[in-house]
Amino acid sequence: MKKQIVGGLAAIVALAAMGPAAQAEFVPSRPLEIAVHAGPGSGNDVFARAVIAVIDKEKLSPVRIQVANKPGGGSTTASAYLASKAGESNVIGVFTNIWITDPLVQKEATNTLSKLTPIALVITEPGLIAVRADSPYKTLADFIAAAKEKPGALKQSGGSILARENILRQLLIKETGASWNFISFPTGGERLAALLGGHVDMMILEPGEARDQVRSGKIRVLAQVSDTRLEAFDAPTLTEAGFKIPDLPQIRGIVGPPDMPADAVAYYSGLIEKVAKSPEWKAYLEQNGFRSTFMGPAETKAFIATYTDQLRATLVAAGVKLAD
Amino acid sequence: MTVVEGLLHGFGVALQPGNLLWCFVGCFLGTVVGILPGLGPAATIAMLMPLTFSMDPAGGIIMLSGIYYGAKYGGSTTSILLNMPGESSSVVSCIDGYQMARKGRAGAALGIAAIASFIAGTVGIVALTLVAPPIAEFALSFSSPEYFALMVLGLALVVLLSGTSLLKGLIALLVGLWLATIGTDLFSAQSRFIFGQPQLLGGLDFVVVAIGVFAIAEILGAIERRAEGQLIPVPRGLRNLLPSWEELKACRFAFVNGSVTGFLIGVLPGAGSAIASFIAYGIEKAVSRRPEMFGHGAPEGLAAPEGANNADTGGALVPLLTLGIPGGGTTAILLSALVLWGIRPGPLMMQESPDVFWGLVASMYIGNVMLLLLNLPLVPLFAQMLRIPMFILFPIIFGLAMVGAYGVSGRLFDVGLLAVFGLIGYAMAKLDYPSAPLILGFVLGDAMERAIRQSLMMSQGDLSILFERPLSATMLAGAAVILLMPLVGRFNRSRLQALQEGG
Repeated sequence: MKKQIVGGLAAIVALAAMGPAAQAEFVPSRPLEIAVHAGPGSGNDVFARAVIAVIDKEKLSPVRIQVANKPGGGSTTASAYLASKAGESNVIGVFTNIWITDPLVQKEATNTLSKLTPIALVITEPGLIAVRADSPYKTLADFIAAAKEKPGALKQSGGSILARENILRQLLIKETGASWNFISFPTGGERLAALLGGHVDMMILEPGEARDQVRSGKIRVLAQVSDTRLEAFDAPTLTEAGFKIPDLPQIRGIVGPPDMPADAVAYYSGLIEKVAKSPEWKAYLEQNGFRSTFMGPAETKAFIATYTDQLRATLVAAGVKLAD
Repeated sequence: MTVVEGLLHGFGVALQPGNLLWCFVGCFLGTVVGILPGLGPAATIAMLMPLTFSMDPAGGIIMLSGIYYGAKYGGSTTSILLNMPGESSSVVSCIDGYQMARKGRAGAALGIAAIASFIAGTVGIVALTLVAPPIAEFALSFSSPEYFALMVLGLALVVLLSGTSLLKGLIALLVGLWLATIGTDLFSAQSRFIFGQPQLLGGLDFVVVAIGVFAIAEILGAIERRAEGQLIPVPRGLRNLLPSWEELKACRFAFVNGSVTGFLIGVLPGAGSAIASFIAYGIEKAVSRRPEMFGHGAPEGLAAPEGANNADTGGALVPLLTLGIPGGGTTAILLSALVLWGIRPGPLMMQESPDVFWGLVASMYIGNVMLLLLNLPLVPLFAQMLRIPMFILFPIIFGLAMVGAYGVSGRLFDVGLLAVFGLIGYAMAKLDYPSAPLILGFVLGDAMERAIRQSLMMSQGDLSILFERPLSATMLAGAAVILLMPLVGRFNRSRLQALQEGG
């Protein structure tokens, strides 16, 4: 069964790669739904709405597009929703890292990303390792040294243990031999409040979130989690700071339901590519410090496969209990 | 810019005809959304956000915020009339609000809810205007140990002062706490108590549990007592449509309590308006000279939580506007709207975007007056709804409940759960178990478990973190006093009795 689906996917991807010229042009005739895995105001929700705003402004779609919030169980409710729409072509979803990690850890989460139809990879988001402005740590090396001195005494605030900030922590711990605590908070607001209130020592946050906190002198950025530096922040990348950590980007992309018709896949991939090239989209990325990393269906599929292996290995190394 | 200059500047922005119109549109939509269970302000704001992008940011945020605080006004309507809370913050309003309605005082209850909302909502904005930056610093001093202590205090106030049977109340509370653990554990990313159902990975939704246990159970009970003819009596005459002077006088302290408690708890990013309303109710009952009236239609038992959940709005905007920290779902969507306009709320917002900041603050004063004028005339209209005969009203309530449950994430599974919780609520009523502690446990359980586990992670397993921090120690001591007080009272009473018998 699994093989059949994968085979089917490969065929779809192969067809899609042949380009729109090879088949009848798909044009959506019903309103399009974009499923996101969290409530209004969450990172994914805002991302989906930003995509829609650009599509509306550039008049790229003949049909109305709406966000369908499917919160619950990390990404599982949203991926189950997409899986239930097999073969349809008027619903797509926004996936991120946890669409890969959730099924690795939860045995009930059976709708893996590989069962869905990859359409495009859209952006990667750099992260910033930050401390409070009055913290004694001026560099990441200072922080690591202090964490080595008192193992477990320093604290980092973050979300789920499957989120990128914890995986990065595990990698840093493995690389340096230091150790510190990771404390989960469900919302970004609480994580930031814990840092600003001095209840935790460090946090990895998004560039958009960090910019004004840095400008108003509340926090200091120690290092950037990114392959190249963001100009807006005066801090080295992890590699520049001397830490050999594999690049684990926070990704956001678009998937469709299982067995989505190939012409629809090609259409949506083309739509997203037009969005990615528009000046409004570039302004949005600039404002939030995101990186454009557009990939078509075939590339996205390959990327997901390699990235899944990489994340699985990291989780295992971090001692997280996996489902199988 | 001083506060007075800022506010004058803000009124200059908010009183422009266009912005006045947007303010009204927001308040009106908010009221509608608040009345309909299941459709929350966050989803509504998200839906309307694209329309506001072509507007000027001040007008846009004035309208979107109007939806936010307007929904709090409307939220009490279904709680009072149908025992159906649309949001976690209006659960407590059901307790005494619905009982008032059952006594034929539905009009009075709606009126008190509107007045309490207006007073506390306005006090919340005054506080936001005057003390935002210092109070934001206070909010940051709260961390997991303080949140845990706050919730213990809330539980102590509500549960242990309540009810005829302490044991039954405690059992209901524990079941509620357990229900809150169903789903994916934040700390280990593992599932708990999901019985192999992937649909339960996200946990139970508040709307499903509360509407089931309160509204569905109530209707099932009413169908059984069909002889009564009417779910609740229709208020007759003008006198029964308005709160009486005695009722308003009984609420004097509740207005103050609701305003202060609601604002202070609203400021805390990890608390939320449900906790604010529970604690305001608990305080009201603790200081009341007639605590036995609570749960049987005490107007002050409605005014306190209803006020608190409106003052909470002013409070919740403090960390959002001055620190850039959203406290909950609705403030998070307001934040993303501001960001999409290119405005980052935070310490620099007051200087860099005075139009938006002060325009919003000033518009909220205006919005609150609009909401009062909008809601008071609706009171007789809604009270008349009770005239609808049961064979029409009940299917409507069932329909509303099912739409509300389905609306949570668009799954029929949740409608099934609604039926299950309706039956649980019905059984509890039959066996004389109070349902409020179950809901309280469910609402607080998740946050409380998180707070204690975060605290212990911070202290590496050392419980003394709860007692070493002054704020959390004070609140825990308060909770202990509340728990021990009835025992001391009983001891004194029995001693007096013994003395009298001896003498």
